[in-house]
Amino acid sequence: MNMINIKVAAIEQVTPLVKHFTFVNKDGTALPAFSGGSHVVVSLDINGRVHRNPYSLMGSPEDTSAYHISVRKQEKSRGGSEYMHENVAVGMQFKITYPVNLFSLAKKGRKHILIAGGIGITPFMSQIADLKRTGADYELHYAFRSPEHGAFVSELEQGCGTKFHCYTDSNGERLNLDELLSQQPLGTHVYVCGPNSMVVAVLEKARNFGWPENHIHSEQFLAPPIGEPFKMQLARSNKEILVPAEMSMLEAIEAAGVEADFLCRGGVCGRCELQVLETDGALMHNDHFLTDAEKASCKKIMPCVSRAKCERLVLDI
Amino acid sequence: MERGYWIRSKPVYTSLMWQEKATSHLVVAQGSGGMAVLKIFQQMHPKQPITVLYAPSSDSIVDYASTLKKVVPEGLQLFDSVQEMLTTLKEILPTMYMGMRVYVAGSEGFIWTIAESAKEFGIEDIDMIKELTGTLARSIYCVHCKAITHNITTNIGKCAGCERMLFVRDHFSRRLGAYMGLMVDAESPGQLPEIEEIYP
Repeated sequence: MNMINIKVAAIEQVTPLVKHFTFVNKDGTALPAFSGGSHVVVSLDINGRVHRNPYSLMGSPEDTSAYHISVRKQEKSRGGSEYMHENVAVGMQFKITYPVNLFSLAKKGRKHILIAGGIGITPFMSQIADLKRTGADYELHYAFRSPEHGAFVSELEQGCGTKFHCYTDSNGERLNLDELLSQQPLGTHVYVCGPNSMVVAVLEKARNFGWPENHIHSEQFLAPPIGEPFKMQLARSNKEILVPAEMSMLEAIEAAGVEADFLCRGGVCGRCELQVLETDGALMHNDHFLTDAEKASCKKIMPCVSRAKCERLVLDI
Repeated sequence: MERGYWIRSKPVYTSLMWQEKATSHLVVAQGSGGMAVLKIFQQMHPKQPITVLYAPSSDSIVDYASTLKKVVPEGLQLFDSVQEMLTTLKEILPTMYMGMRVYVAGSEGFIWTIAESAKEFGIEDIDMIKELTGTLARSIYCVHCKAITHNITTNIGKCAGCERMLFVRDHFSRRLGAYMGLMVDAESPGQLPEIEEIYP
């Protein structure tokens, strides 16, 4: 896969749990253009094991001199976010993928309602730059645990003015979805990025008010869950490999030297889909891509986030 | 038509059915589409507010206006022409909220006239429930002179603009509300396949 070599130009501690990283091209030239809502996959070599994590680009798409990402330190980190927080320093170099957008703004939308929870604010930072440039009508609703965890609040207050609404959970402030979604003008689109409970609540509320599916947008990158180790066979490569507890199937395939397709590595895009040729147990689907019927069929799996509980699993790769 | 083969742009029409999840309902019909409105009111009425707009059509022998007055419990507005209806529609839509479901019934020309007006307010045609009533007659867009000829019921029709004989294709323009028409005898002038009524 074609990658970009970048250099860490700056690191800023934004909240007790969030760090903001600025990347520039290693050779000093401009980085590839991107649109609001795009992400890149950062590739880290940690003790000989390659970690690849998706992060939303936060900067303005008009500025390609640098990319900006923010990383929240995860409590149950498999190593990626912890490494970013503890070990990455200014001047370090690594590889990232070209930007991909799985969370783009609906260009024909007449109004845009952006709903962020915690670190879910990041894709909206670049989208807001796009919305401001086109003069589109929008509202940003941002909920977070407590004042010290509200990353980029003053920046957003300044940039978005009255379009910005924030909700501090510890102050008892709650976003009222009934109020927000029941009286929006025709042609409004809603976008949500945040913890699972928030995403589910917004999707359900919008659907219940009769919002058409194509007006409802969400992004939720999943970290591959830690599970039981299991073995799998790669039919075309003629290899039998072990998937350790803290590694995803995709990572195990890559570690075995087999090239696999991927884009988001978070169960969203569908690019890494593999055909399951044979299995004698249960597939544990964790992605947001396959339909329920596809998941039930046991014929396909998203190796970036899903796992299996079985004695035998044969994949077409 | 070859089995399993489908022109993606060709619209799919269904029957009007109330959508349970909604903030309000807007039913728009013309001419024979009045029957589709009477049919939807045979179903359980939804809880949310309903608005019904109806205009008669010169193609439809039956005017459903008087029956609709008896059946529609609230929010019925009758018009003499589609033009008048569109004026009202453009006044109503800015006051409506997301979750308003749109139901359209009538001729294909009428359905896409409404779709074009609704689009200005951010309603995409895929979000509307559309029922084609009365006739399958097509509007065709001449790819040679760009004129649109209405009410073509045959596989080949004469362009009202340039008088070329056009083969009526399934390729459909949502913007124009018309199917593509292509000169049928360009290579052998005057030699026409049999002209048959297939869109009665």
